[in-house]
Amino acid sequence: MAAARRLVLTGCCQALKLTFTSFYRSVKNMPSEVEELRRPGLVQRVLIGKNPMRTLVRVVIWVVLIVAIRTYVLLPIRVEGVSMLPTYKENGINFVNCIAYAFHPPQRGDVVAIQYSGKSIMLCKRIVGLPGEVIAFHEGHIEINGEVLDEPYVKRPCNWERPPKRIGPNEYYVVGDNRSMDFEQHTQGIADRDKIVGRILL
Amino acid sequence: MRDWFVRLAFLGTLCAALFCSWHWLFPSPQQVIRKRLSQLAAAASIAPNEAPLVKLAKAQRLSTFFAMDARVNVDIPGRAVQGFNGRDEIQQAAIGARAILNTLKVEFVDVVVEVGPDKKSARAHLTATANLPGEKIPEVQELEIGFTNIDREWLINQAQTIKTLR
Repeated sequence: MAAARRLVLTGCCQALKLTFTSFYRSVKNMPSEVEELRRPGLVQRVLIGKNPMRTLVRVVIWVVLIVAIRTYVLLPIRVEGVSMLPTYKENGINFVNCIAYAFHPPQRGDVVAIQYSGKSIMLCKRIVGLPGEVIAFHEGHIEINGEVLDEPYVKRPCNWERPPKRIGPNEYYVVGDNRSMDFEQHTQGIADRDKIVGRILL
Repeated sequence: MRDWFVRLAFLGTLCAALFCSWHWLFPSPQQVIRKRLSQLAAAASIAPNEAPLVKLAKAQRLSTFFAMDARVNVDIPGRAVQGFNGRDEIQQAAIGARAILNTLKVEFVDVVVEVGPDKKSARAHLTATANLPGEKIPEVQELEIGFTNIDREWLINQAQTIKTLR
């Protein structure tokens, strides 16, 4: 009889203890023993976070955002060749701002990326002539509508001579900053507006 | 819920597999032309220390990509304008180029293919890069290549360089 009473008392004590503990934990917002067992380890928490679904959503949003920015806004490029020396050195990493001309047309002096059939390989040149202007090279200087263009970015003089040429509407005359080579060896000329991908960022 | 997810994933995988199989078994003209262009680039490339017989065989193979009456116009700034008419002339030019060059790596990038409404002709707009020996930077040239479908085979009937900057 005494043993049965002790068993009932012990059971009641245990039940009370459990009730108070769970109440205390719920009040203090402490995880229960089951929750503690379910709690992810440190490595998992660092790599995935406490809520894997939320982390997955975040990762997807970031990936979509990065791909969209990389494709439509900032195009990473590596500069090859010497035609833009000394402004851009060989093997330098840069970006093309593809939305630079979304609200205004290209300006004189802008260094732009010009595409071939796509954006895998592009030309990097400076705009010197705008639509409707007449451009000529005389004694190594660019003349726009008969007036010499001031070009502080050209550090290597040249002796290029070219007769005046009219730039059509929606066309831009582009040339590199390094003019130390012969005119024929330097890739330059008139580019259509739709070939200009964007402005070089840095 | 989990069963539905598994079923959905399985269905998606099955659809993707069917789609890939269909395209592999019945490729579109665009896919066929893209494959032809990559084969053309491989045939135009010259491996280092290539044997003379291999060079000749590859030059002959290169000409098989062209129609009998094909025309090739090359106008690169700073270089002489060249034109080749007919498969034989193209083959001779390829043999001549291989005699001069030791190595050459040709690649076609940014290929845009437009098939005509008759499905018998197509145009490919692409950028060709050629790594020449002793040059750090590859030669880059924009090209337009016209194709015609002769006996269920896409052959080049016209190829010309495009001036990116005029």
